Amino acid sequence: MTNSIAEIEDAACVFIIGSNTSTSHPLIARRVLRAKEKGAKLLVADPRAIQMSHFADVAVNQRLGSDVALLNGMMHLILKNGWEDRDFIKARTEGFEELKETVAAYTPQRVQEISGVSPADLEKMSEIYATRRPATLLYTMGITQHTTGVDNVKSVCNLAMLTGNVGVASSGVNPLRGQNNVQGACDMGGLPNVFPGYQQVANPEANAKFTKAWGRPLPDKPGRTLPDMITAMSEGKLKALYVIGENPKLSDPDANHLKHAFNNLELLIVQDLFLSETAQGAHVVLPAASSAEKDGTFTNTERRCMRLRQAIKPLGNCLPDWEIASRLATAMGYPMSYRNAEEIFREMAALTPSYAGMSYERLGIDGLHWPCPTADHPGTKFLHPVQFTRGLGKFHAVQYQDPRELPDAEYPYYLTTGRMFAHYHTGTMTRVSPALDREQPTGYVEINPQDAFKLKVREGEVLVISSPRGRIEAPAKISPEMLPGNLFLPIHFGENPTNVLTNSEALDPLAKIPEFKVSKARVEKLVE
Amino acid sequence: MYRLVPSVCSYCGTGCGVLFEVLDGQLLKTLPLKTHPVNQGKLCIKGWNLHEFVNSRMRLQSPLLKVNGRFHDVTWNRALQFTAEKLKGIIEKYGPDSVGVLVSAKITNEENYLLQKFARAVVGTNNVDHCARL
Amino acid sequence: MKDKVRDWLETGKVDLFLGYKQVDGHPLPHAFSKENLAELGELIVSPARYALEKLATEILAIKPALKIGILGRDCNQRAVNVLTVHQQISPGQIQILEVNCCPSPLRKHAACSTLQPQTYGAVKLELGVDNNMSVAQMDQFDQESLYSRWMYEFQKCLKCYGCRDICPVCFCKECSLENNDLVATGGLPPEVPLFHLIRAVHMAGRCVDCGLCEEACPVDIPLRLLYRKVNGIVKDLFGYETGGSHEQPPFSLLGESTPPEAEPHSKAV
Ligand code: SF4
Ligand code: SF4
Ligand code: SF4
Repeated sequence: MTNSIAEIEDAACVFIIGSNTSTSHPLIARRVLRAKEKGAKLLVADPRAIQMSHFADVAVNQRLGSDVALLNGMMHLILKNGWEDRDFIKARTEGFEELKETVAAYTPQRVQEISGVSPADLEKMSEIYATRRPATLLYTMGITQHTTGVDNVKSVCNLAMLTGNVGVASSGVNPLRGQNNVQGACDMGGLPNVFPGYQQVANPEANAKFTKAWGRPLPDKPGRTLPDMITAMSEGKLKALYVIGENPKLSDPDANHLKHAFNNLELLIVQDLFLSETAQGAHVVLPAASSAEKDGTFTNTERRCMRLRQAIKPLGNCLPDWEIASRLATAMGYPMSYRNAEEIFREMAALTPSYAGMSYERLGIDGLHWPCPTADHPGTKFLHPVQFTRGLGKFHAVQYQDPRELPDAEYPYYLTTGRMFAHYHTGTMTRVSPALDREQPTGYVEINPQDAFKLKVREGEVLVISSPRGRIEAPAKISPEMLPGNLFLPIHFGENPTNVLTNSEALDPLAKIPEFKVSKARVEKLVE
Repeated sequence: MYRLVPSVCSYCGTGCGVLFEVLDGQLLKTLPLKTHPVNQGKLCIKGWNLHEFVNSRMRLQSPLLKVNGRFHDVTWNRALQFTAEKLKGIIEKYGPDSVGVLVSAKITNEENYLLQKFARAVVGTNNVDHCARL
Repeated sequence: MKDKVRDWLETGKVDLFLGYKQVDGHPLPHAFSKENLAELGELIVSPARYALEKLATEILAIKPALKIGILGRDCNQRAVNVLTVHQQISPGQIQILEVNCCPSPLRKHAACSTLQPQTYGAVKLELGVDNNMSVAQMDQFDQESLYSRWMYEFQKCLKCYGCRDICPVCFCKECSLENNDLVATGGLPPEVPLFHLIRAVHMAGRCVDCGLCEEACPVDIPLRLLYRKVNGIVKDLFGYETGGSHEQPPFSLLGESTPPEAEPHSKAV
């Protein structure tokens, strides 16, 4: 997030796009509702009628995958009505003329054809977003899990810059991170092209710095992303995979393709709390301690680095992940002898400028927002107050593209995936919890009442959902939240694996994020 | 005997402050940390039940090695030795880029740091990624 | 205060004393014992309230032989009375060291240091219910407005169950909110207004007006007001003062299914 969670409360407008906030980030939904109750206008654009839609001043249901058109349409109207922030554009941005040209073609009529959003709603949204400042924009996977994910994000940034909603308290572009430490995993260099703190592996200076610190020559060619690793596995080029705390067998698109790739491995090491679907196929499984059983830090979605403190001893023979990694490195001939997590934190902070000013003592309970470059720096609540990281903020003019798959005669439904409120990710950590399991013990498919009526299916009856990749069964959940012609599958349930249906070939070309949010599908009642 | 330990919820990216209730080394319950700047003493259903996955009977408790298609409990030494030898063999035969490491959004910063260091310095590959795209 | 706690621990009047201690700038509940008397120097009265009597009840469910002292306000005392009446604890198992500040109509004498009225947004006051309202003020809304205001509030619910989980007098082994035949599962908001009305009814003759549920509610639903209304009816009809003493018989509405065993529902798995 460019801004902090608490700032949301003081926004004059909150625009939620592609985020089922009350389900996936309930304590951020709290801030949104409080903003609303203090007088902010709330805009919600989501293909489903979600809980937050009920509280919106304008709620629209854009067709799945039509976000770029919707956002370009808003910018079209903002420019047409002169609602843009000219001073900001002039002083702080470049590429404005191109953007202007591109969005000129996105008339309300055209946007309606693509997205289904009426010109009247589009006009209201544009006016509210542009004129009620500061406006904060929140999004999640509903924006990124598309073949056009990067385009979607660019469009969202264009909109914020066009209206000067950057670098000011309670404004900004705020992706809400789905898992607790996604932010930290990225910050720590859990990516193929960067060391901790986003220092490029290909940058000779950075590479030399880490080579010196770690005492080994380091490769300077960016490595493979996860989808590339899977391809390399199928092609027999990647022979060993070490998976820590993840369950790619359930969370990756296209389960059938994945199965083949995993079968090719000579060595699969899985380190986890539970014997997940992925761990079951491993050659060796290493039992990890839970977050209550170790010290360490997490960095939340607002870049706030906070401490975990060990509450109990690790269960059985479990060890904290850092200790397993140290022991494995030592066994491989690279001795690591950290006494505790704090020692590792110190080593990391010394090499990572954005964390350099942090220490366990300073973090306390409240934590600190990065960048925090020095020991007396208070941390940074919102980014880009004066300048963007690359100098001027660049508008990236983006054209709308259809999702890779659209419904056709054979597969007439739109299928999308996501979360429900009581579970988390692939369910390994929530389905074992009696309280959460009670709330939702099985998978399901959400379907609109009209569609259910057409299929003559009642609540709880089993439906067969198929796509060009495969088929799964799931009980029907009839929900007016769904638009007709749309199906929703939650991602948490291994017995109804949504990734049998989704498409691993459809990736965003840059971010390599699969298009989980749109597939075509067919649905029938199960005949026994 | 009885302690309350401040920590952070490990489900979503909001990062709510919690207190773990510990009695005689057992995790009893989870409470919201009332004065925490992120969640101000409130939690969602997942946070309130944070202790349940920790206490789950489904947790792994010992390293497992697969022999003839079946898992067997083994010691840490055995598991790590097996892993290290196999990995070294693969690196020797096919080069370091035949190895991939998937770090995680569920583990700590320290652990992510160490595991990417493991991939880059110990294995010698930049094949490091995580599942956050998903 | 510190001397008294020291005395209690040294003489064995209590084995454990739950108070507060400052940790990294946050007042956190802390257990003091004979083994760490030196820590008593750090004992404070916290401006942030935790249901210490609930924590004590949980410990006692596992270690019934213990005697536990707590730093308590009047609301803690009332909750202990209710817990005793409902046989969740025996008289004397929990000793209270009083530090009083209660704003509840159930106790008229003092102002609460923590329950300073919060200010709420204008839109909430227009569409919903002001958490600072009294029952009498609320009763002035006409039926239609009352209905739409409460429905607005309930529709925000995130089904966190925090109102129940934090409540010192919620201890039923089988919670009606989790009865799938009564309340449908799997969606947000939970069935409106059923979910909230079931809890309200169950709080009749139980709720001690401590306000912790409202403080734990992520979406600022005026839960305390709702339960005050219900308890007001109980008082008017039956003359029953909830939490007034630990000697009165338990009050129960027809159909309420509090299991008679003195076993809390809160055992860890
Ligand atoms: S309590 Fe809920 S909102 Fe808070 S971090 Fe945990 S899962 Fe996220
Ligand atoms: S005010 Fe709320 S938390 Fe306190 S006793 Fe009543 S219902 Fe329980
Ligand atoms: S605390 Fe509030 S949001 Fe949570 S279940 Fe109770 S009423 Fe709903």
